[in-house]
Amino acid sequence: MGLRIKILAGFLILTTMLAVAGVWSIYELTTVGTSVQRLLDENYKSINAGKMMIEALEREDSAVLLLLSGKWEQGRSIIESADDQFQKGFMTAQGNVTIPGEGASIDEIKARYKAYKELWLKPIVDTSKQGNLDWYFQEMHQAFQDVKLSVGKLVALNHQTMYQTASDLKNRTHRAIMPGIVAILAALIFTVIFNFLINYYVVSPIISTTKGIQRFMETGELPAIQVETEDELFHLVSSIQRLVAEVRTAEAQK
Amino acid sequence: MRPQIILRYVGLVLLFNAAFLLISCIISGFNADSAFFPLLYTALISALFGVFPMLFVPPTTKITNKEGFIIVVLSWLLSCLVGVIPYIMWGGEFSFTNAWFESVSGFTTTGSSILTDIEALPLGLLFWRSATHWIGGIGIIIFMLAVHPSMGKSGMILYRTEMSSLAADNFHYRTRKTLQILVVIYVGLTLAETISLLLCGMSIFDAVTHSFATIATGGFSPKNPSIGYYKSTAVEIVIIVFMILSGIHFGLLFAAFTGKITDLWKSSIVRYYLAALTTGVIAVTVSLHGSQVYSWADALRYAAFQVLSIGTSTGFATTDSSIWPSFARLVMIFFTLQCACAGSTSGGIKADRMVLFWKAIVKRVKKIQHPAAVIMVKIDTAAFDDEVVDANILFLSFYIGIVFFSALILTALGVDILSAFSGSAATMGNVGPGFGTVGSAGNFSQIPDVGKWVLTATMLLGRLEIFGLLLFVTFKSWK
Repeated sequence: MGLRIKILAGFLILTTMLAVAGVWSIYELTTVGTSVQRLLDENYKSINAGKMMIEALEREDSAVLLLLSGKWEQGRSIIESADDQFQKGFMTAQGNVTIPGEGASIDEIKARYKAYKELWLKPIVDTSKQGNLDWYFQEMHQAFQDVKLSVGKLVALNHQTMYQTASDLKNRTHRAIMPGIVAILAALIFTVIFNFLINYYVVSPIISTTKGIQRFMETGELPAIQVETEDELFHLVSSIQRLVAEVRTAEAQK
Repeated sequence: MRPQIILRYVGLVLLFNAAFLLISCIISGFNADSAFFPLLYTALISALFGVFPMLFVPPTTKITNKEGFIIVVLSWLLSCLVGVIPYIMWGGEFSFTNAWFESVSGFTTTGSSILTDIEALPLGLLFWRSATHWIGGIGIIIFMLAVHPSMGKSGMILYRTEMSSLAADNFHYRTRKTLQILVVIYVGLTLAETISLLLCGMSIFDAVTHSFATIATGGFSPKNPSIGYYKSTAVEIVIIVFMILSGIHFGLLFAAFTGKITDLWKSSIVRYYLAALTTGVIAVTVSLHGSQVYSWADALRYAAFQVLSIGTSTGFATTDSSIWPSFARLVMIFFTLQCACAGSTSGGIKADRMVLFWKAIVKRVKKIQHPAAVIMVKIDTAAFDDEVVDANILFLSFYIGIVFFSALILTALGVDILSAFSGSAATMGNVGPGFGTVGSAGNFSQIPDVGKWVLTATMLLGRLEIFGLLLFVTFKSWK
C-alpha cells in the first residue's frame, strides 16, 4: 500500500471519528430541543389548564356559600363567571390529550363537574336549602371535592410525565455531550499512534537514507538501509541502491 | 521491544471486539433502543483503531516472549477500556468508575455488578454486557488466534502466555489443533445451552445472554433477580449441567465428546472437582434444612444451584444466600476461593492447584517420616518437580495475600468485614457475588469509588493469574 493512501487513511479516520460524533451530538441536541417543546406543549399547557379549573372551582364554591347566605345577585354573578373560566380550562385540557390515562381523567372531570353543576344550577336562595349547612356539607361540598380531586389527578399525571421527560432530557443532554468527549480523547490517542507510525515508517527511513547517501558521498560506502514496508520509500531506497551499484560499476570500469 | 508489532496484534483484538459491538448495535437497532449510537460509535472507533496499524505494520510471525506478554495484558486492558465506552456514552447509572467496574467484571467473567436496576438497560447494551463475558470467557487472545488464519510462531507464544500454565497438561495436540478444540467446545456448549434454554421456554434473547454468561462462567443476567426470575426448575437444571461442564478442562471434555468418556473419570482433578462440589451441596443442604426454613427439596434445590454457581465461578443466583446460616456461607466462601478446573473458563485458585497443594503436604509428611526417600509429587501420570510445587504454593500464598490486602483496603474505606472479605474473594476468583451487601441479592454500587478500582484490579489479577499483570507492570526490569 502506498504512502499517500496510508496518510490519507489516517486523516480520514480522524475526520470520521470527529464528524460522526459531531453529527450525533447535533442530532441529540435537536432532540433535546424537540423534547423541551413537547414538554411545554403537552404537559405545561395541561397543568395550567388544571390550575385554572381548580381556581374556578374554588370561586364557584365561594359563590355557593354566598347563595346559601341569601346573596343571590352576587353569588350568581361569581358562579357564572367561574363556570366560564372552568369551561375554558376544561376545553384546553380536553384538546391536549397527549399522555396515556389523560383521556380517562378528562372524562371523569366532565362527569363529576356535570353532577356538581346540576346541584348549583337549581335554585338555592329562598328555598329550604338557604342557610342549610348540612345540605351544603353532605351534597354540595362533597361534589365540589370530587371534581377538585379529579382535576388534581390530571395535574399530577402531567407533573409525573413532566418529571420523566425532564429525566429523559438529562440523559439526552449527557448523550449529546459524551460523543464529543469520547471523540476528542480517541482523536488524541489516535494522533499519538499516527505520529508514532509516521515517525517509524516514514520519517526514520528518510533520515537513515539521507545519512546513508551522506556517508556514501563521504566514504564511498552505502550502509544497509532497512525499509520494512513495500511503499514509495521502499522503491526510493531500492532506486538509490541500484544507482549506487551503477556508480560503483562505472567507477570500476574506469 | 517493537511497539509497532504490539499495536498490530492489539489492533486485531480491537477488531474482534468491534464485531461483537456491531452485533449488539444491530440488536439495539431492531429494538429501536437508546443504546444504538453508543454501540455503533464504539464499534466504529474500535474498528478504526484496529485496522489502522495494519495499514502500516507488515505482518510478522516472530514475536518475543516479552512482546507476547505485553500483547496479552494490553489486549485485556484495552478490551476493558473499549467496553467502558458504550456504558458511559449511554449514561444512566454509569459514571466512569462504574462503567470500568462493569466492563472489567464482564471481560474477566467476574459477573459482579454496580447496577441497581439491570432491566432498565436497553437490550443492545444488555447483549454487549453478556458478550463481554463470552469474549473474555475463553480468553480474547485464544479467540483471536483461532479465527486468524496463520500466525506461525507468534501464535504459539501468545497462546502459551494466555493459557493458564496448568491448563496445558491435558492438551496433547499442536497449538492450532488445541485452539480449534477450545473454540469448538466453547461454541458447541453455548449452542447446546441456548437450545436447551429455549426448550425450557426462555426467550431467544434471554437464552443467548444466559448461555454466554454460563459457558464463560460469568454470571451477568439481564434480569434483576438473576435466574430466580424464572422460578423454573427446568431452567435451573439446564444451567446447573452447563455450569458443571464449563468448569471442566476443555481438553477432557473434547475427549469425552469424541468417545473417550473414561478420560473424564480417570482424571483425579475432575474426580476431586466433582467430589468437592457434591460434598459442598450436601453440607449446605443439611445446613439449610437444619435452619428450619427450607424443606429438604427446597434446601437441595437452592443449595445445588448456589453452591455450583459459586463453585464454578459463575455467580448466578436463585435466592439470597447472604441470609443463610454461617456454616453454609463458609462452605460457599471456600468454593469462592477454590473454583473449578484449569483449562476451563473458571477463575479462582482452581481445583488443580488444590490437589497439587494437598499432594505437596502429603509429600512433606512422608519426607519427615523417611528423610532419605526420593518422593515425587504426581497427579495421574504427570510428575511435578519441586520448582512447580513451590510455584504453586507461592501462587496460593500470593492469592490469599491479595484477597486479604484488598479486603483490608475496603474495610479502611468503611465497608463491613463480611462484604469486604467475600467481595474481595469473589472478585479475585472472578466469581461475582460475595456475602453481606455484595451478596447474590445485592450489588457493588455502595462500595466507594476507590474500592471499586481496587476490586477491578483484583479481578484483572485473578483473570491473568497474578503473574501476568505483575510482569506487565514491571516490564522495564524484565530482561
